Amino acid sequence: MANVAKKVSWSGRDPRDDDDDDDEDGDGPAGESTPLLNGTGHGARQFTPSSLLRTGQLSNVDLNEDVRELETELPRPYPNEIPHNEKLLSLKYESLDYDNSENQLFLEEERRINHAAFRTVEIKRWVICAMIGILTGLVACFIDIVVENLAGLKYRVVKDNIDKFTEKGGLSFSLLLWATLNASVVMVGSVIVAFIEPVAAGSGIPQIKCYLNGVKIPHVVRLKTLVIKVCGVILSVVGGLAVGKEGPMIHSGAVIAAGISQGRSTSLKRDFKIFEYFRRDTEKRDFVSAGAAAGVSAAFGAPVGGVLFSLEEGASFWNQFLTWRIFFASMISTFTLNSVLSVYHGNAWDLSSPGLINFGRFDNEKMGYTIQEIPIFIFMGVVGGILGALFNALNYWLTMFRIRYIHRPCLQVIEAMLVAAVTAAVGFVMIYCSRDCQPIQGSTVAYPLQLFCADGEYNSMATAFFNTPEKSVVNLFHDPPGSYNPMTLGMFTLMYFFLACWTYGLTVSAGVFIPSLLIGAAWGRLFGISLSYLTKGSIWADPGKYALMGAAAQLGGIVRMTLSLTVIMMEATGNVTYGFPIMLVLMTAKIVGDYFVEGLYDMHIQLQSVPFLHWEAPVTSHSLTAREVMSTPVTCLRRIERVGTVVDILSDTSSNHNGFPVVESNPNSTQVAGLRGLILRSQLIVLLKHKVFVERANLSLVQRRLKLKDFRDAYPRFPPIQSIHVSQDERECMIDLSEFMNPSPYTVPQEASLPRVFKLFRALGLRHLVVVDNRNEVVGMVTRKDLARYRLGKEGLEELSLAQT
Amino acid sequence: MALPPCFLLLLLLILPPGLAVGLQGLGEGAEMAAGLPELELLELPELEPPELEPECRRLLGAFAEGSAALSGCLARRARPVRLCQACRGHYSTLLGLYRDIALGNSSESHNCAKSILTSDRLQIVVTLSEFFNETWEAANCANCLKNNSEGLSNSTVEFLDLFNKSLTCFEHNLQGQAIDESPNNYTEVCKNCNGTYKMLNDLYNNLQKLNRHGSESGHSAHLCIDVEDAMNITRKLWSRTFNCSVPCSDTVPVIAVSSFILFLPVVFYLSSFLHSKQKKRILILPKRIQSNASLVNIQEKYS
Repeated sequence: MANVAKKVSWSGRDPRDDDDDDDEDGDGPAGESTPLLNGTGHGARQFTPSSLLRTGQLSNVDLNEDVRELETELPRPYPNEIPHNEKLLSLKYESLDYDNSENQLFLEEERRINHAAFRTVEIKRWVICAMIGILTGLVACFIDIVVENLAGLKYRVVKDNIDKFTEKGGLSFSLLLWATLNASVVMVGSVIVAFIEPVAAGSGIPQIKCYLNGVKIPHVVRLKTLVIKVCGVILSVVGGLAVGKEGPMIHSGAVIAAGISQGRSTSLKRDFKIFEYFRRDTEKRDFVSAGAAAGVSAAFGAPVGGVLFSLEEGASFWNQFLTWRIFFASMISTFTLNSVLSVYHGNAWDLSSPGLINFGRFDNEKMGYTIQEIPIFIFMGVVGGILGALFNALNYWLTMFRIRYIHRPCLQVIEAMLVAAVTAAVGFVMIYCSRDCQPIQGSTVAYPLQLFCADGEYNSMATAFFNTPEKSVVNLFHDPPGSYNPMTLGMFTLMYFFLACWTYGLTVSAGVFIPSLLIGAAWGRLFGISLSYLTKGSIWADPGKYALMGAAAQLGGIVRMTLSLTVIMMEATGNVTYGFPIMLVLMTAKIVGDYFVEGLYDMHIQLQSVPFLHWEAPVTSHSLTAREVMSTPVTCLRRIERVGTVVDILSDTSSNHNGFPVVESNPNSTQVAGLRGLILRSQLIVLLKHKVFVERANLSLVQRRLKLKDFRDAYPRFPPIQSIHVSQDERECMIDLSEFMNPSPYTVPQEASLPRVFKLFRALGLRHLVVVDNRNEVVGMVTRKDLARYRLGKEGLEELSLAQT
Repeated sequence: MALPPCFLLLLLLILPPGLAVGLQGLGEGAEMAAGLPELELLELPELEPPELEPECRRLLGAFAEGSAALSGCLARRARPVRLCQACRGHYSTLLGLYRDIALGNSSESHNCAKSILTSDRLQIVVTLSEFFNETWEAANCANCLKNNSEGLSNSTVEFLDLFNKSLTCFEHNLQGQAIDESPNNYTEVCKNCNGTYKMLNDLYNNLQKLNRHGSESGHSAHLCIDVEDAMNITRKLWSRTFNCSVPCSDTVPVIAVSSFILFLPVVFYLSSFLHSKQKKRILILPKRIQSNASLVNIQEKYS
């Protein structure tokens, strides 16, 4: 047991305090069996069976000691208020119920629905996937078109202004105009996010990752979030921030999927009375993964990449049919985007412009690669990994600072505005100082700024800064050799690196894909230019190829996605030839980056204190058993329970439990028998709302029997217990849970090791796992937070603490 | 196949028609080798290709002459670029000839299309015609010609007038300069020709804008090469040689404003660090059996 964990600290912040705390626990009178720390809940009502259980299990602990311990603890300077850090788990997040409750109602329904009806359910699934694809594609089109027009308008206004003041003098006004325009647009974008729906901030990929992992992030798949997300992303891209619109597409797709599959919108209070069968967490998750795939596919024109993204992020739950459906949604999404954009661009039904970002065609003959270049690509991967790690580390500190100090919405808005203004100022100064003039060649440059260049030439720094990031990426990939001089590229990379790093994590909805690609493309192109300079212009001189590899390396170094990113890059470039080098580059970048710091999305998940379950339990945790992991004592309910008791348990704010083991016991005696089932808070609330009491059933035989539909209608926003009125008389009634509980909940014995429990939990997507002793009596309960607490840190196994956020 | 061409032709005559079609490719290749460089291969007898109608021969000859004229014109007008103005007649003639060959106006010219355009691997007539077409497209000459490509369009004429005027202006003022013996001092030119140059520049920009609006989605946003080149030459003269366009560089205010903007975040972060209340998290103690103790035990044993 000694080799399990080298050092365990409660919080990384203040080890001295922690040691004190632990010492006291160790020195306490209870010795080996430390007193139970019963939370803050003095008034927490422990139901008799559980307290009995407790006395049965730990006869040397009594309640008095418990109370005494709590009382002695209160005056002590216990660090129960600590600054936010990464080693916390927030209580805000709950699990999703992926486990199907096989109660009697469920069995009845299954019996009633015949075989043919299940076939229509299957057809409905396909219809929903098609609708997800279509709507996601349409949203992508909307974003694309609006961004193009608004950004075009902005750049034209600024360009005209700059052109005017270049002749007359007073360019500082142009700078002010540009900065003010940016700041005001971003202000609107930031205000709607900060004040209306904070969960729409950022790219949304971490949130969707969490959702597919089984964590219920509040508000993450609401219609309101979608609206804010779409508007927010348009405004932040138009506002000239160093952001892209691709990441948010994934979130948008997920919201669309969650909305459509339910056939109603609780935000709009509209119920279309369709797809009622899918009002369950399990079904919803499947559609959300399809939506995320459709989002990726619309964003990058990468249907296969989208499917792989979904599998990579939510892969513990999938099967062949689901994959096929997800692929269908992806395809439909790309197709919709293609056809609508082709109509918009005036060449209707030309379906060859897939994706929001189109990396353009790489010409195979001109840009082949040879075996000599492989080491160069690997080296680029290393550079990408190091730069990505640097990016993540900087962003980590920044995000920590933001969580601690910039948590008020108005401060967040001001910060976003400042970043927008500074982005404009930096861009302007770079353009102003640049003396890199290139002749205008046709219309490749969207907004050619002449500034101090000779007539008929444009400032080449302006193609990089004075443009939306997507366009800049494509320019870097495809502009002919010699369009940029190395100095320009170097300065651009440096500046954009810090701007992008600073921008990610602002309270605006925006993605990090495009900025990463842009940074990578810039240094990759620089690399290519210097390479051809060093080798005196030998065969591998085309800088566009190196720009692509640099972009892949940088993106891989930052987000650390593997398979899906490779395929996305391949599909976005429409080039299979580069598959192998891109894969090599991404692999190297991931290995090198992981050596220093984890990926950006994982980092943000951790900083948000989300109880995220990784693929496996920490490797050195086999000696931890369920007994040490579980929470105990457990609030249990009897099979036939007094309504008053149920209401009291549910309304107890200190123990906000969601699942209650149902035990067999005679209400009149204190005799406890074993576990009979598991019932959820949501089910209890529905039961209370419909007043399904034993006495009432006897009184009025005509009363409608409760069906599964009643539970589904309340999903997913079950009313809080406070909104349910239970009269004094009704409190004395009894409620029979045996029909509604899940009669066969998953259980583990106390001796099960943590990895074993973890595997069961992760693979089945459980929410509650009951720990029983050998007499099938409830000893404890394992939930997501109990498992997510253990993490492999730098010094071995670490334990995270729970915190109110 | 290293057979002498005459032998092949003989073969062709002897063979039944079905087989002859199969060998036609070879035969034509031979014909070209025999027919074109007449000077070197005088010893060969002048064999009339049996499958080429006299009408087609005439067309081919005309095409050869037309393409020679056009390529000559193109090369001669390469610098300064005057392609569209000078060679448009040649081009349209050639286009007509090619159309005659390809589509024809009588039934026998169908045969011409077949025998001239598609009966051998090289298809030199097609290649030539494609080359001319592509060059014409790339130069975007259609842009400064009238719709029926009979003459220069009005705007182009206007532009060229203005262009000539500014060139004359440059020349006039430079003659005065030459006496001055100070090659870098072109203030006279800049001052006197500013109006003409501005007009020219504006006209050009207008044309560009119109063009971009006229053609949807930025496709072929080029003006025709003559106009573009004329403008390029003038601009180069103006801003490189004469160094006339000296933009006011107001570095001081720009630096002031930008450093002010860059300074704002520093103030913001410092003030929020100092004044904003740090967000605290309230720790919740988990309900667990001896969890701390067991882990502490692990820790103690280890250390």
